[in-house]
Amino acid sequence: MVTRLLNSFAQIRNTKVASAVRNTLTLLFPIMLLGSFADVIKFAFLTKTGYMAQMFGITSWLPYSRELGWVMEVIFHCTIDMIALYAAYGIAYFTAKEYKKDGGSAGAIGLLSFLIISYQPTEDGLPNFSRFFMSQGMLIALIIGYLCGRLWVSFDNSKIQQRYKIIIPVLIVLLVSAILNLAGLFVVKLEIPTYVASFVTEHSPFNSLVYVLGMGFLTDLLSWMAVGGPFSNNPTFNDAPSMANMNAALKAGSSWNVPYKFTDTTLFHSFANFGGSGVMIALIIAILIFSKKNRNRNVAKWSIFPAVFNSHYSMMLGIPVLFNPVFLVPFLITPLFNMIVAAIFILLHWMPVAAYPVPSGAPGPLIAFIGTNGNWITLALGAILLVLDVLIYMPFVKLSDRISQKAGDINEN
Amino acid sequence: MKINHWFWTILGIALSVTLIFVSLNWSHQNTTELAKIHNSKLSPVIMIPGSSASVNRFDTLVDKLNKNNKHPHSLIKIRVTTDDKLHISGRLRRGDNEPVIVVGFENNHDGYDNIKKQAKWFNTAFKFLTRQYNFNNFKAIGHSNGGLIYTAFLENYYSEYSEQVKIKQLMTIGSPYNFNEKSVRHKTQMLSDFIDDRDKIPSSLSVYSVAGTETYNSDGLVPLGSVMAGKYIYQGQVKHFTSISVSGSDAQHSDLPQNDQIIDLINRYILDPKQRPQQRQGAISLDGQ
Repeated sequence: MVTRLLNSFAQIRNTKVASAVRNTLTLLFPIMLLGSFADVIKFAFLTKTGYMAQMFGITSWLPYSRELGWVMEVIFHCTIDMIALYAAYGIAYFTAKEYKKDGGSAGAIGLLSFLIISYQPTEDGLPNFSRFFMSQGMLIALIIGYLCGRLWVSFDNSKIQQRYKIIIPVLIVLLVSAILNLAGLFVVKLEIPTYVASFVTEHSPFNSLVYVLGMGFLTDLLSWMAVGGPFSNNPTFNDAPSMANMNAALKAGSSWNVPYKFTDTTLFHSFANFGGSGVMIALIIAILIFSKKNRNRNVAKWSIFPAVFNSHYSMMLGIPVLFNPVFLVPFLITPLFNMIVAAIFILLHWMPVAAYPVPSGAPGPLIAFIGTNGNWITLALGAILLVLDVLIYMPFVKLSDRISQKAGDINEN
Repeated sequence: MKINHWFWTILGIALSVTLIFVSLNWSHQNTTELAKIHNSKLSPVIMIPGSSASVNRFDTLVDKLNKNNKHPHSLIKIRVTTDDKLHISGRLRRGDNEPVIVVGFENNHDGYDNIKKQAKWFNTAFKFLTRQYNFNNFKAIGHSNGGLIYTAFLENYYSEYSEQVKIKQLMTIGSPYNFNEKSVRHKTQMLSDFIDDRDKIPSSLSVYSVAGTETYNSDGLVPLGSVMAGKYIYQGQVKHFTSISVSGSDAQHSDLPQNDQIIDLINRYILDPKQRPQQRQGAISLDGQ
């Protein structure tokens, strides 16, 4: 049974699509890794409201912190914030390569198509792109890029005249993308986080618990597929339930009795998002302890710094966790497990609820600790959950090692 | 190799412990600070329409306020039926600290008796709002009789909340404090009652009474003298009392809520100063306000 599973996983790994995706992710990894360093440095260290800046007052004593922050922000916006662009190029390039065709042209077409789809016209005519596609739409970019690559390949194989061979695929891509851009307008208008927040205030605690668990699950599932989910990466503290909680806590002097006990802030961000989606920091620890694969160990070591401040992008691409069926199960189970345990603790009144504001980029296990104004039980629970999460990830890390052996990744060691 | 491992583990633990204690210290400090200010970031604008008007009365006004605004105000409408039930529509948009809440009544008729009832219904809605959103300060706008309902609410019900919820500004637009009487020599029962109980109005409040003028002494419906009679209630009792009259287009009584001058006044005097847009989803402002 296990061997059969291993074989089929290994087979999937060796298909053309999977290999193109893997090559693309490898291409994106350094961009993402350095981008996430810039992200963390900018938002946790050099932004006045960031965690490290708040804790150590970095912005007030570090010379040139504004300028440094500026540089980091530029890097962040041009790497992580636009990662889908690189993905569209990369997948089209590698798809064409898989079919032994000219990759550069295919990549350019993929890039063109994605640019057209995500472009949002502004009144002053400056380039402006839909956030939904640019920073959260990597899956869409991969699909589009793959299709462009295939289109290029099939035209290259066809017998039409040479001078049309280049023009026609570009024309098709242009037209279809422009139409998709129009359709995309409707998707962007949905304000999902607002609905999430208002659901919590309008329903009974039990309903909202189920809802938060479901939405957390969905967020993780979507982020495994490289799409932005209903919950944002960091707790925002400006949605209606969080604000009501904070005011109630300030009034009462403690956060034991607040109106909304089960929200994305109190459960998802406080307990299910250590190191980013899927309790990524647990995977890093599990890899460092149990994995024998040098490549993964290297990626994990590089990712420690960003992951401490909840930036999980480099792990997602480096291992990769994205689209990786091996890690799907623990990636979904660990956050869910954490949220349920935390909900039980809150329900039984064993710990207060995270209601006070937490600076952005606070290390995962510390979010609930700060959010409860330093409740030790909360911190202990976070630490215990982290250990359990590492144990949940352990068998999957070992499985992943065995699969790569099976698939014969000679060049990956 | 082994020693190396231990080195990193110990370094990691030392860093974690440092961070834990720094965080603990920060969190205590920040919470004390916040509790001291105890200034809720949520500061709604609560509007009451005039007689015969529904909760949709301020739609145009809100549209105009939101025009070219990157952080538009949410619009929440509460209709109170005669059986004290609340019917709510609209929702608070994430990140919006200054929603517009309109409270309207099923019985929206004119007359002092109705105004007393409407003040009671408004109190029901207000109690719900303070529980639901937990804000501790708000701004008030009343058009026409809405201003009278606010006055009745401030004199008869507000004392119950004055400890927790602060009313920052009140703007009444074309409110006939003396109904249709042109002169205060003929005081209506309502005006006399309002003047008698004026000492219950909070003294920290700033009041703006806006009058529309279509002719020299009326906005086409309410006599200017009746609007100006508001000074006998507020002047000397509240921190600031400003009366303003507007004329020109849209200065007729029922056009006042969409009068551009009045919208300008609301932007300037009632709404909070514009905040700088937030940099990243998740970035929160911790330096007080």
